[in-house]
Amino acid sequence: MSGSTATLARSPRSMAWARRGRALAAFWREFSHSRAGMVGLVFLGVIILLALLAPVIAPAWMLDVTKLLDSPRFAPPSLEHPLGTDDQGRELWVRMIWGARVSLLVGFAATAVSMIIGTVVGIAAGHFTGWTGGLLMRIIDFFLVLPSLILAIVLSIVLSRGVWTIVIAIGLTSWAGTARVVRAQTLSVESRDYIERSRVLGAGHWHIIVKHLLPAVLPLVLANTTLTVGSAIIAESTLSFLGLGDATLQSWGSILKNSMDVSAATAGYWWYVLVPGVAIVLVVLAFTLVGRAVETIVNPTLRSR
Amino acid sequence: MPDLTFEDVSIVYRTSGRNDRGAITAVKNVTLTLPAGGTLGVAGESGSGKSTLAMSVLRLLPPNATIEGRVLIGDTAVADLRFGELRALRWAEASIVFQGAMHSLNPVRTVGQQILEALELHVADGWRTDKARKARIIELLRDVDLPAAKADAYPHELSGGQKQRVMIAMALACEPDIIIADEPTTALDVIVQKQILDMISVLVSERGISMLMISHDLSVLATACERIAIMRDGELLEIGDAFDVCTDPQHPYTRQLAEAFPTIGDPASRLNPVTRRGEAVVGDRSRQLSDDVLLEARGVTVTYHGRGKPLSAVKNVDLTLRRGEILALVGQSGSGKTTLARTIVGLQHPDEGSIIRFRGKDIPRKGRALREFRSEVQMVLQDPSAALNPKLSIYESVAEGLRVQRYAGDEQERVAQGLIDAELTPPERFFAAIPQELSGGQRQRAVIAGALAVGPQLLVADEPVASLDASVRGEILALLLSLRDRLDLSALVITHDLGLAWNIADTVAVMYEGALVEYGTTEQVLLDPQHEYTRRLLAAAPTIERRLA
Repeated sequence: MSGSTATLARSPRSMAWARRGRALAAFWREFSHSRAGMVGLVFLGVIILLALLAPVIAPAWMLDVTKLLDSPRFAPPSLEHPLGTDDQGRELWVRMIWGARVSLLVGFAATAVSMIIGTVVGIAAGHFTGWTGGLLMRIIDFFLVLPSLILAIVLSIVLSRGVWTIVIAIGLTSWAGTARVVRAQTLSVESRDYIERSRVLGAGHWHIIVKHLLPAVLPLVLANTTLTVGSAIIAESTLSFLGLGDATLQSWGSILKNSMDVSAATAGYWWYVLVPGVAIVLVVLAFTLVGRAVETIVNPTLRSR
Repeated sequence: MPDLTFEDVSIVYRTSGRNDRGAITAVKNVTLTLPAGGTLGVAGESGSGKSTLAMSVLRLLPPNATIEGRVLIGDTAVADLRFGELRALRWAEASIVFQGAMHSLNPVRTVGQQILEALELHVADGWRTDKARKARIIELLRDVDLPAAKADAYPHELSGGQKQRVMIAMALACEPDIIIADEPTTALDVIVQKQILDMISVLVSERGISMLMISHDLSVLATACERIAIMRDGELLEIGDAFDVCTDPQHPYTRQLAEAFPTIGDPASRLNPVTRRGEAVVGDRSRQLSDDVLLEARGVTVTYHGRGKPLSAVKNVDLTLRRGEILALVGQSGSGKTTLARTIVGLQHPDEGSIIRFRGKDIPRKGRALREFRSEVQMVLQDPSAALNPKLSIYESVAEGLRVQRYAGDEQERVAQGLIDAELTPPERFFAAIPQELSGGQRQRAVIAGALAVGPQLLVADEPVASLDASVRGEILALLLSLRDRLDLSALVITHDLGLAWNIADTVAVMYEGALVEYGTTEQVLLDPQHEYTRRLLAAAPTIERRLA
């Protein structure tokens, strides 16, 4: 009898958690088999660590121009200046590490904004049929056809300058694609019999959305998230490059803008352009690799390709 | 005309990756011969390897399957053919009527074009020119009783039976010597099934084609085939003359399969579905129906307003369901029986003027009253695999109704009781399981447990056994019967299967094109049918009779 009492003692909640833990472990096992995904993940881990440790490995004074009067300007990469220096004698690697903080922060925060709006609107558009769903779809379509860069530029001009303005500008302009994907998945789940069964049991909208729809679309949203982070970082760089960011903060986009201001490309200061440019490409690529790996795990139909 | 011979064939699937279950032997040492011009049926439940065996004839198996032993068509071993030779063999010598015609036709091409495809790939003397091919298509359509004009129709413009006819026309296109029919009538209702089976039998015997037919339904095979082979878990259990196998089975498993489908009118199977356990769950035949009316429907009409003209799915239906009564609603697909069921549980609104009363009160449409109504009337859906959320454990699926209904008592106790009522014992063993770990029958029990947990008075079951294997069928029916006896539940069971009605129902209502054409006690309706349509349904049900040689 001891066996059966032990099982009885387990509450449904603890059983659910145990199952989720097992699912997560299985997910990790699967993910660790994907070489490309692991390469991306390790690379991102290193970058995030560097960004977090920026004050330790490169104290803030190293960016203070008044303390760098002796430092050579436009020094090409060498042992002394690993990635070269800029037009004010600042070490490029220091600027890159500090810039990573802003670029990644904006990337993650903007993606979070975009995912939350996209998921909520997408599920609502798929679940509520008729008038409500139609209206939501038209709103999604509106944001889809809107040239997002121009909207983001307008938003960051209208709102006060700063990192959070850029986050909001990117977040508000990039959710429509996610909403479409989420709506499609919602519609397909909605037609399953277990939703009908839930209705017969007396369930209302809230129960169906939280208990059945949300868990079904979440894996898709997660895979979409990692892909969106990359494009958010590019959008941040673009806005900073156009001079719409906070000029007092370092970001990879603003480094690119500075290099442009001193005509680095034509004057032969190649490292000034190449270092931030390549860094953006690599980080976005790493996010894409991780995103694709997650996508193949949560969407088994992609596996054989 | 070549024979088709399987010589000691074993087929192994190698799995890898996430679902690695090692090597799975789908077919084990099967030796079978289909003589030229003969007809052979292969029966078995899902997973018995019957489809795998059939696909091996044309080497249509996926690359992870390895075949041992030899498959011979005439004297040629299929495995030794080069790709070009295999192509010539496919369709010209042996062709397949696939399962599920709905999915095997290309939706964006006319059926004429699709038949033409086979003719163009295998040009023969009969159809060298475009004109000859066109004539051939018309001839083929005539053979399967379709008007020539249907060549220009797209698949979605045809009914299920017509699509299956097109599939058969395609299989006949290149005058093959062997036809393999994989569950050719499974998705069709009884009347269409009978038409298709009759047609296949005539075509096969007229042309002397040999046919290998696969089905889970012995009575279907008995109507169409001379000999029947029984498979289970990849092994060949028994083979013999169709009538002998069905009436005098040697292997106990065959006996189970044969008994799973009752003979209407046989008193032994009345209120007594066959279960695997052997011990009969005989419904209490002496019980009298109470006068306590639970559900009353008067003049129920449901009209769908879609694009185009309004469609009346249910027309002026009157029904009465008493406490402890099992009512079987019988009809073909498209007769409106599912719409009626959805209307009764309140998922579909009937037209103005329809009256549906539950315990003397009109059924509520929204809010708290609707939720309370839902705890009284529960529905069991056709496909248990789809009706359970694959991400939730059985415990949570069963408890879902209680949580939705804001049940105040001990949830765990109630869930356990529901599982016990649905005969999933001990209940603790099923708490943490997820639906994929259960068999089809267990899943359907879990769905029923979920419905029972909220303590309903009426169960509406929409084709509760149509997607289950024959041996599980009887157990679920026995469960419904025992629920009636133990808990005094009423049930409305929707089915196209008259045998099911004979097995468990007290009363039968026959539905045809939205209207009830006959309604009475089971004995009255099934043994002494008054309406023409009921007689047609009864005549169409496949039965095991000695074939006239």
